[in-house]
Amino acid sequence: MSQHRDLVHGELDDVSERVALDALNNRWALAAPSDFTSDVDVLNFALTLEYLEATFYEQGNARNLLTGQAKQYLTQVQKDEETHVQAITQTIQKLGGTPVAKPMVNFDGAFASKTMYLTTSFTFENEGVGAYLGAAGYIKNKNVLQAAAGIFGVEARHAAIVANLLNKPGENGVYMGAFETPKTKAQVLAAVKPFLVSQMTTMPGGNGSPNTGGGSTAGTQDSGLLTAGSAALLGGAGLAAYLATHRSTDADTAD
Amino acid sequence: MSTDELFNGEPVITFQRETDRRAFLRWAGLIGMGTALVTGGALNGMGDAGAAAPASTGGDLGILNYALTLEYLEFNFYAMGLSKGLLKGRDLELVTPIRGHEQAHVQAVMAAVTALKGTPVSKPTLKFPPKTFSSADNFLATATIFEETGVSAYQGQVTHIKSPAVLKAAATIAGVESRHAAILAHLTHGNPFPSPVEKNAPMSSVLAKVKPYLG
Repeated sequence: MSQHRDLVHGELDDVSERVALDALNNRWALAAPSDFTSDVDVLNFALTLEYLEATFYEQGNARNLLTGQAKQYLTQVQKDEETHVQAITQTIQKLGGTPVAKPMVNFDGAFASKTMYLTTSFTFENEGVGAYLGAAGYIKNKNVLQAAAGIFGVEARHAAIVANLLNKPGENGVYMGAFETPKTKAQVLAAVKPFLVSQMTTMPGGNGSPNTGGGSTAGTQDSGLLTAGSAALLGGAGLAAYLATHRSTDADTAD
Repeated sequence: MSTDELFNGEPVITFQRETDRRAFLRWAGLIGMGTALVTGGALNGMGDAGAAAPASTGGDLGILNYALTLEYLEFNFYAMGLSKGLLKGRDLELVTPIRGHEQAHVQAVMAAVTALKGTPVSKPTLKFPPKTFSSADNFLATATIFEETGVSAYQGQVTHIKSPAVLKAAATIAGVESRHAAILAHLTHGNPFPSPVEKNAPMSSVLAKVKPYLG
């Protein structure tokens, strides 16, 4: 590496690889250690966000606020989010987990105008990007990780295109810097909380197939995600079942 | 063309936003990279020089050097293309930051290689077909190929990277490449959302795609 001394100015020699890697890890250790206890846990968090997004676009696109290319783009975004809901639901089931129920939502105000709609979309998409990145470190199954990374990238595409529809600046608008920024679960939940009326505590007892149609906000149970905090995102019995078959060394905090 | 020629001896890493600069410094600083190349750099050194034995990093070094080659390609492509003055208005506003991002990626990936006690690959000799920069359309058409290739390249290594630190670092970059890809697709009247989940490509197919540009 000596030929690169002009770049590192010799400082590297003062830092062992292990220290450097630990420090590099700390750089990304934004999520609290107890944020997620399993892949299913991460996936159910993601599923809540995807439900929120899918329902948001189903309702928003139904308002006919958009025309032309904006309409076309957000129609595609809606389909992507619906696909994510389905894919994550199926993945949780494959892992032996129980998908969380679709949250009840309230987007009042978000559809007051085209600008409000797109601005709220911009928030959701960027929160999604940060959420996936912040949670990625908790995922142990490589296939789950691949899927999450693939979804993460698409959320970043959405964020950029919606920002452009809003004519936001290139930097700090369409792009949010040279590196995406991870967000903790608490940060993401704080950002989306205004739109979550509740999350049903009753886990789907049957096949758990998602209802991604219609943009329904029906439902009255006011408990779960908000009132019970992050506990509602835990997969309950499904988590235990998952751990029984996918035992990993550091997932022993769940019982 | 060296970065010195491109930037007239100015510091070669500049950031559009203060938060970018700080984020980069945090990363670079943590893994022991110098600051002389960073505008206005102020860095807290890593005081703790542990003596632990190097951990095995498996194939991460190879993956990082692969990423470094792609980032070199992208950065130099945008540096050359933007220097031609082909773009105007919103196109220019949307493409200019990409150059800075790719440059930051080059430096970051290089720093990661060095942190793993590896040797960063040298900047490849690059050759672009004569028509690449003959018009805004050609420039953007090539850009969209590079960005989609870059996205699939990072996605293709997700399951191969062993170090969580390297994985997260790569992910922070991959998301930005996805943004680039979407915007370039928009600018070239393509589809910004070609798939609900990003596609991934193995190293071999990515290298085959970019080989024509590597001298």
